[in-house]
Order: sequence, then structure tokens, then C-alpha cells
Amino acid sequence: MEWDNLYGASFEGTRKFTQQDVHTLNASGFGAAADDFSERGIDLNEQLIFNKPSTFFFRMNGDAMEGAGIENGDVLIVDKSLKATNGKIIVASVNGELVVRRLQQTIKGYTLVAGNQRYENIDVGEFTQFNVFGLVTCVIHILEKGLLDNDRPQKGKKKLYGS
Amino acid sequence: MKAIVDCNSFYCSCERVFRPDLENKPVVVLSNNDGCIISISNEAKALGIDMAVPYFQVREAIEKNGIETFSSNYNLYGDLSRRVMDTLKALVGEARVEVYSVDEAFLDLDHIAKNDLQDFSRTIRETVEQWTGVSVSVGTGETKVLAKVANRLVKKLRLPSKTLVLDSEDATTQALQRTLVKDLWGIGRRYAVKLNEWNIHTAWELKHMSEDWARTHLGGVIGARMIEELNGRQAILMQDELANKKMIATTRMFGTAVTELKDIKEAVATYTTRAAEKLRRQHSAASMISVFVIPRQPAGTPSYRQGGQARSSYATLHSPTSLTHELIKPAMEMATQLYRKGERYSKAGVTLSGLVPDSSIQSSLFNECGNNQNRELMLMLDNINFSMRNDVIKYAAAGIDKQWKMRQEFRSPRYTSRWDELPGVR
Repeated sequence: MEWDNLYGASFEGTRKFTQQDVHTLNASGFGAAADDFSERGIDLNEQLIFNKPSTFFFRMNGDAMEGAGIENGDVLIVDKSLKATNGKIIVASVNGELVVRRLQQTIKGYTLVAGNQRYENIDVGEFTQFNVFGLVTCVIHILEKGLLDNDRPQKGKKKLYGS
Repeated sequence: MKAIVDCNSFYCSCERVFRPDLENKPVVVLSNNDGCIISISNEAKALGIDMAVPYFQVREAIEKNGIETFSSNYNLYGDLSRRVMDTLKALVGEARVEVYSVDEAFLDLDHIAKNDLQDFSRTIRETVEQWTGVSVSVGTGETKVLAKVANRLVKKLRLPSKTLVLDSEDATTQALQRTLVKDLWGIGRRYAVKLNEWNIHTAWELKHMSEDWARTHLGGVIGARMIEELNGRQAILMQDELANKKMIATTRMFGTAVTELKDIKEAVATYTTRAAEKLRRQHSAASMISVFVIPRQPAGTPSYRQGGQARSSYATLHSPTSLTHELIKPAMEMATQLYRKGERYSKAGVTLSGLVPDSSIQSSLFNECGNNQNRELMLMLDNINFSMRNDVIKYAAAGIDKQWKMRQEFRSPRYTSRWDELPGVR
């Protein structure tokens, strides 16, 4: 990041920070050799988003998937273009409600299994309105939520999670 | 062959992406300011709700029938529109997509074998729906006009496949016989009436007129092109995206009628700020600015809804500029001059025109040292407002409490553009 420009006009704001702007040292002495090796920095999008137009973010509400590594308040990255198969964690609508569960194929059809034993399986029956929204590809779990809150400049927003 | 991909009741479709409970339920979307209905789902249409009707006229029917109502959520619609277009570009290549409007795109399918077009149209439809959750219909024909004809029939006949390919002489003939001239893309109401007077009612009849005839009776070159297109010869070519706009306008209806000069000035200053931001985003500078206001007509008069005659004024800037404060100054003067005490205003707007690349600003003779600093100021302002969202820094002229701002009682969350409005899952 161009710290030298932090207070200057060309500072793009941290939110627009692409991690790709490679700064050359332009050192007058010895350091200049490193400039020959400068390359594009790491971009999180490369690792986390596989197909941009079909990728959506969701907010996990509740502890239904705790055993599967998804905790209350985590952000789910969901790819709508990927096919849901047996054993995958998916976001689906069940009778008009969006849930995240593990998809299990049974002889009779599908069962949606929670990652927390306190939750019952959802059997997808003949009369269940069931639609797969997409496949959960990544979970963003932020440890230092306090930092996030301070970095959030919107006024009057105390609540961290969606409804 | 050309295809048109058209989103079905686009805004309603967007509202349903994160609300599966609205599947098969009647939905309507209201315009800016909750003024009138701009998108209706098929279910709402079946209940007798019409497009472009003022909301207050059908409010009772909407509530009685439990029709789900939304204020327009342009953040959401814009995002989903971009996803639809990106999906199409992934399917056929960027150069073969012409984005025609927020919910329509022409595709150039000349590279696809004719035998494969049925399958390909279906693939397009399914992929867009799978990737974005937005439902589309696809019409395909030899030309853009024929693709439009096909697409209209898909919707009118409610074809379950949501696709129609006019890939044979027979299919095209049948489609044209079922299409009235008034429903053709590019034939306005006036020409439709004129054509009917000539005893031309269907697109099929129009197809058999000569180009020379069309040149004299149907608006010259444009009419001749229409005949060519109907005959399966491509005459309306794919257009490149408009890189830079020639004119930038920001206009809004007020939430409630505005009577005070102070409020009018605030509104005009806000629109000027918004327009100047757009101007800088495309690296242009404006040489002319115009302001208009529309006074509200007394209730009961025929033009009550649209408001009365717009009153406008313009100013030429002595050198092209993209600086907000240089634009606000003349805008404020014009607003003051247009204002009349005792009038109630329903709408105001600002238009920037005479746009030139902003690189030419630097050559201004006057003001030569100040300008670079000003541009840095603007850059900084835009960056802060962009990164923080919601104008954090604004001109005092634009006011602080904004009593006149848009009414959006029923807006859904900005699911795809705000961290704190993400859709929730359990």
C-alpha cells in the first residue's frame, strides 16, 4: 500500500486497496536490484472467488453448522454455478426459507443435515419446496471482530451481523 | 443469427433472488419515490395490476390481495444486471454482447451453427438463471428485429422453454403473421397508426413492402432498414458500448412537494454534486450547465401527475470544468432565478453538457496555478466518498437534513453491496 500517500489526494482508501499495486523502491543505491523482481501482490479474490458473476455472500445466523466450521456471524461465499452433490455444504431454500446444511443423498431423495446435533435433519419430501441456491465454497471467520467494527465507517451501525 | 436476452419482470425477479418465499407470489416494484409501478410479476398482472399506474390508485387493491411491494433498490438491480451481462460475455465472448438496457442484451450468434441454435439458446437461458438467479427469455432470429419478434412471442405465448429460435423460413413466416406492426421493435405509435391507414397490419404484410416505399413513407433510411431486417438481411449492426456519455443529467422527483427556496437550492446543489461526480468518473469536463424545476399543478388537473411545464435556464461556463464548486455556483444562481414564491415543486434536475476530455482543462489561461490543487481536492473528495460510501464529505450548499429526499418506504436490503445487509441463512 502506498503509505506515503496516506494523506495525499491519490490515496485510494483502504476499501479500494487491491493488493496489486506493486511499488518499486527506486532506491538510488543497492536496493534497486529488487525492483527487477517486483510482481503483482496477493489478491484475496483469486483464492476465494472462482466465478465472479455467480458468487454471492451470505451471513450465517445461528449455530446450526458449528460442527462443520461455520459459526454464528461468519460470511459464507456461495457459488451458484457449482453443482451440489452428495456431502457438499449448500445454501438452499426450504419452504421459502434460506438455510445452510450438508446435502445427503438417500434412497428416498435428499436429507439436509446440520453440523450441530441439537438440530434435526430436514427431509426433503414430495411436498417440500426445495431449491439449491448454491455451493458454499469458503467461510470467512473473523477473529478480531473489534478491528472490523472500527474499520466500518458507516454511521449509526453498531450491529455487526445481519438480521 | 442474432439473439436478444431479456430478463423477465427484471426488478421483481431481482427481489426474489434472496426471497425464495416470494416464488409464485405476486410482486410489484415502485419507481423512485414510490410514485408508480414500474415492474410487475405475472402473478400481480393476473390480479389486474398494470404497469406505470400511480401507486396511490392501486394501493387498496395491492393491500387487499397481499401483493408484495418494494421500493426500487437500484444497488441490487445494478449488481444483478452486471452479473447477467458478465455471464453472457462468458458464454459468447465480450465482443459479441451488446448491452441494450439494464435488462436486455443483443448477442451476435453468427459463429454458432444453425443446427445448434436451439440447444445454445436453451444453454444461455439456463446458465444465466443458474448463475445469477434471474430468469430470462431468449429470442433468436436472422436479424435484431426478428430476434425481438421471437422474444416477444416467447413472453406472449408463455412458451415453457422461454426460448424461441426462428431458424427456418416457416417459423419466421408464422411469427411475423402473429406480430402486429405496432409491436415491432422501432415502430412507434405514430407510424403504427400510419401503417394501419395504408392497410398494413401485421409484420408479415410490412415485410413485403419495398425498400423504396419504406424510404419515402417510413422515415427514410430507418424504414428501409426495417424492411431489410424483416427480410432476414442484417441492417442494424451490433453497437459498441457507449464509452463516454455526451451529456450527464441528474433529476429526481421530490418526496414531498417543495415550496422553500432553501430546499430547492439544496436539492439542486445535491444533483450538481452527483452529476459532477459522474463527470469526473468518465474524465470529462462540462462547458455548459442547465437547471430545471417543475412546479406541481393543482390536484385534479389533467397534468397533475407529471407536473406542469418545466422551467429551465442554462449557463455557459467560461472554461470547461469538472470542479463541483465551479458548477454549484451557477447552479445556485439559476435555481434562485427560477424559483417563484408560492409555487410547489415536484421535480428538479441538473444537466451537464458540452462535455470535453478533462485533459483540456489544464490549458485554461486564467486560474492557472489553482487548478491542479482543485483537481487534487476533487480526487480526494471522490475517493473518500467512494471508499466510505454515503457522502461523508459534502458541500454545505447541499444541505444536511434533506427534507426533500426520496421516499423509499419498502426498499429491500442491498444484499450484494453492503457487508451489513448481506442475506442471512440459518
